Amino acid sequence: MELSLHHRTEGDYTILDVAGEVDVYTAPKLRERLVELVGEGHYKLIVDMTKVEFLDSTGLGVLVGGLKRVRAHEGSLTLVCNQERILKIFRITGLTKVFPIHDSLEEALQGQE
Amino acid sequence: MSGIELEIPADVAYVGLARLVVTTAARQAGMDDGRIEDLRIAVSEAATNAILAQQHVDHDAPVVLSFGRRDARFEVTIRDTGPRMAAQGQPAEQATELVDGGDLGVTVIRGLADSVDFIRDSGSRVHMRFAIGLPDEAGQRGEGAAKR
Repeated sequence: MELSLHHRTEGDYTILDVAGEVDVYTAPKLRERLVELVGEGHYKLIVDMTKVEFLDSTGLGVLVGGLKRVRAHEGSLTLVCNQERILKIFRITGLTKVFPIHDSLEEALQGQE
Repeated sequence: MSGIELEIPADVAYVGLARLVVTTAARQAGMDDGRIEDLRIAVSEAATNAILAQQHVDHDAPVVLSFGRRDARFEVTIRDTGPRMAAQGQPAEQATELVDGGDLGVTVIRGLADSVDFIRDSGSRVHMRFAIGLPDEAGQRGEGAAKR
């Protein structure tokens, strides 16, 4: 069970590609990366979850933490996710009202003002 | 319940193994792929909570998962001997904010399982039930699966 993280910039945005499983064991690594990115001044984040194979509420909590951090700098954190099994838990927890979620990275980039 | 029991160390590194074993048993019991994904998350949530609670009382004691098919359902019980945990992952007595009904993980379990009971005695038990197959086919599928 692994989690791999890779980030790159595209214009004003920093895209964080998340692949693998996000649970209580691996989520700290994701949290750490988000903290680092914000610490380095990346405040407009797109978290691409296309290659996430598993996510539970520990992962949701880390994403909420990331959102709070970027908002403290008037930034944004949007998600790319088109997997129903993951979208389901965002819906169950009401977090679809909190995170902008796009089907594709293209949409996420277009959707930004 | 045609039961299997799995004891795992109170260590978050084992949550993935718990997911693997329980979902494999569910697949063998005839659960469909979509529902298995729900089960996978629910088991992860309950096992996570149990491990974190168990760590508060006795790191060396295992978290125990019991699971298997009962009639037209797949049932999973996860138990620990730890304290009730509040939203911030602290024991309830120490928490500054008690959220009744628990945290995000509990909300997710309630939203995914067909039914769930949270029982406190000398620790916690989470008992979840997932239907296998459509309700009107449950009887037929039950027999079909048992004969395999």
